[in-house]
Amino acid sequence: MSESINADRGLTYPGNLGCPGCGASIAINHALKGLGEKTVLVIPACCFAIMAGPYPMTALKVPILHTAFATAAVSAAGVRAGLDMQGDTETTVVAWAGDGGTFDIGIQSLSGTAERNDDIIFVCYDNEAYMNTGVQRSSATPYGTRTTTTPGAGWKRTRKKNIMEIMAAHRIPYAATANIAFPDDFIRKFAKAREMRGGTRFIHVFSSCPTGWGVASSLAIKIARLATRSNIFPLYEIENGTDWTLNLEGDLPVGDYLGAQGRFRHLTPEDLEQIQQEVDADLALIQERVAATRVRKAHLKPET
Amino acid sequence: MIASLRPTLLFPVSRTSTEANRTGSWRFVRPVYRFKTAPCSAACPAGIDIPTVEMLASRGQIHDAWAHICRENPFPAVCGRVCFHPCEDACNRAELDAPIAINALERYIGDAGLAACSPLVSPAAALLQREVAIVGAGPAGLAAGYFLTQLGISAEIFESTEEPGGVLRWGIPSYRLPKAVLAAEIDRIAAAGVKIHCNRPVNPDTLAEMAARYDAVLVGAGLAAPLRLNISGEASIIDGLAFLKQVQAGSAPVASGEVAVIGGGNTAIDVARTLLRQGARPTIVYRRRRQDMPAFGHEIAAAEAEGVRIVELMAPVSAAADGNGVRMTLQPMRAAEVGADGRVRAVPAKQPPQEMRFKAVFSGIGAGVAEPWHRPADEADAIRLSHCAICRGTPTVGYIGDPVTAENSVAHAIGSGKQAAIALHALFTEGPEAVAPAVDRCRVGPGPALSMEIYLNGERSRRNGRVVTFADVNTDYFLRAERCAIPALAPAAAANGFEEAVATLKPRDALAEAARCFNCGICNDCDNCRIFCPEQTILVGEGGRRSVDLDYCKGCGICTVECPRCAMDMEEESA
Repeated sequence: MSESINADRGLTYPGNLGCPGCGASIAINHALKGLGEKTVLVIPACCFAIMAGPYPMTALKVPILHTAFATAAVSAAGVRAGLDMQGDTETTVVAWAGDGGTFDIGIQSLSGTAERNDDIIFVCYDNEAYMNTGVQRSSATPYGTRTTTTPGAGWKRTRKKNIMEIMAAHRIPYAATANIAFPDDFIRKFAKAREMRGGTRFIHVFSSCPTGWGVASSLAIKIARLATRSNIFPLYEIENGTDWTLNLEGDLPVGDYLGAQGRFRHLTPEDLEQIQQEVDADLALIQERVAATRVRKAHLKPET
Repeated sequence: MIASLRPTLLFPVSRTSTEANRTGSWRFVRPVYRFKTAPCSAACPAGIDIPTVEMLASRGQIHDAWAHICRENPFPAVCGRVCFHPCEDACNRAELDAPIAINALERYIGDAGLAACSPLVSPAAALLQREVAIVGAGPAGLAAGYFLTQLGISAEIFESTEEPGGVLRWGIPSYRLPKAVLAAEIDRIAAAGVKIHCNRPVNPDTLAEMAARYDAVLVGAGLAAPLRLNISGEASIIDGLAFLKQVQAGSAPVASGEVAVIGGGNTAIDVARTLLRQGARPTIVYRRRRQDMPAFGHEIAAAEAEGVRIVELMAPVSAAADGNGVRMTLQPMRAAEVGADGRVRAVPAKQPPQEMRFKAVFSGIGAGVAEPWHRPADEADAIRLSHCAICRGTPTVGYIGDPVTAENSVAHAIGSGKQAAIALHALFTEGPEAVAPAVDRCRVGPGPALSMEIYLNGERSRRNGRVVTFADVNTDYFLRAERCAIPALAPAAAANGFEEAVATLKPRDALAEAARCFNCGICNDCDNCRIFCPEQTILVGEGGRRSVDLDYCKGCGICTVECPRCAMDMEEESA
């Protein structure tokens, strides 16, 4: 290989054990661009625990602490406390968990950490099921999905848990959604979270899983983009739990997104219509909050 | 507690990287960078690499864009004004919103090149000890001279009139092409080493003399004899081409009042718009329907906007001059079936002939070859190519330009000159058998447009001939954006004089317009492949040239899908 070739791979090594087209791989590449090298990752059980390297390998050029499924947030808070003891105020501590380690198994420690407003960034890279163990449903699995535990006619008939509202209810300084298909927005949010030191920041990352979703690996970004363009995964930010900003408004029907994936292939036009209504209602709710935020801020402005 | 059983606080720490996992071994398909052909460039008779030109222009590298055009066409400022721009009809962007204003951008870039007095680059190929004489300094002859020089062959042009330019000078009115623009681009060709001799008419005798002195002669004499209407009283009808020549020379009598122009081609439009500028009220009389007129659509529209009337389905039967003007007898026509040439025929309608009176009547029905030797004899032993013919023998005589091209336009004439230059170079260096394959090799996509850059084995020669379609473009990356407005004089003001009717784009508009280009089939360093590669396997080499680290690429294919412009493909791994 000639000297002039730029083999800059950022803060990751190639050779991780993720599936071809893995959204979490793309997510970590984007995230580390916003976080920089002064970062410690705390990773509970999840796909990324494998991808980050089976011992004694590592796929990242930043330190990683592997921890138990339920304890990503508190372990991160502990690392933070340790760094504080050492006088290191520069390093950012990031918990990097899947949807299982966030919505289900990790939620009590996450809630506790958020309530204590510990100085960490908690990232949920959400692929909407327990993918690492074979596609079992989680509380992040959306309505209508077939997984190995909601197979055939027993597809999931309950809604995806709204983790953003839960986190907003903790009134943490910053909560945001990000999507791997929108790298500029994604990196901006990670950089912003890094700079907002002193409290718990939460980033909900949409991370496609070609293997679990029944999508060609080449379409991982295309599908992720459709999730936001159909408003199924809107991009927004919540500051202090109350100030809402919508970053992008989608323009496509949900069918464009759902119809392209094996996990939703069984849905009838009536099902799609029902999902469309829910998505519209959810977006309207976000828009109401954005509008209310604007009104409130206008009132707060000192008179000139 | 026994001391040795006391737990010690030790952590296992990973000290090697996953680089040991050659995940490339998982792959069964591999991404490859395969640059393809943009539809605009395949449609361009001069074979300009339009996606690269627009990419450079969008970055503000106007000089580079200009130099890139000049590899294929030494007349950007001229073509930016007079080309019928089939590139825009082929533009993929039309399916999203509107085609790129390629013609207006070429003019912007061409004018920048003139303003900077940039010289054409010196010969790209090794010098050959060969000399070619060219008859006629029209666009085909000048292009042939330029491209021969590029190929290291010395070229001398013999022009019968007192100035070079041919139809560009005497045929195209100055409101479309100012003489200074033409002169500057011709001067630049002369400065690049093409010798141009004016007032040197050639006849069969002098042609034979030339043929003895040169390694080859190219005849590019154009079409100089007006076609006749073959109606009674034709002597009272003024030859439109001669009229245009007189106007250029400043010696035309000024027309006024109601005048008629017979014909439906570009000559008729040019004559009518010129008459309008002299203060006359011209009516174009055309025997077929308006939509069958062979003139370029934008020229017809401009003429009508300025106030030219068009009377369709009227065929002249006879003309008679009297003291006050010309009385035309016209037969009403109707559209009939599609003829052998694929055009709708017009046949006399069941209506009696009508009479119309005009102060003067002009013909503008086109022109044919003036002398039989201006085109190859049917029986000649010739290598007949799409845009030229090379008659073998001692000496070699080639034919270029309008007499041998299927379509007659400035761009086709430039393509003709280029093809002849490539053919002669192949003939001189490798012999007659090499000519057809050489021409074939430098086709842009399916052709017939040719690329000098491909002939010279430049970057473009590595491109795939497949033409990118709209379906190949990833439109996720393109928002609808309005096409730039092309600044122009108000039609009423334009019709008042010979000032240029259309203006050059402003820099800001030009850059924004160039940025609308999809850059079909080429890499414009958008970096999507690298940004989205889950394995970070995209490497960037010299000049931004990207490659895939196949040690680790798992073959997911995201790069290929997310490439907005179809510059990548997936290929199955061979066993």
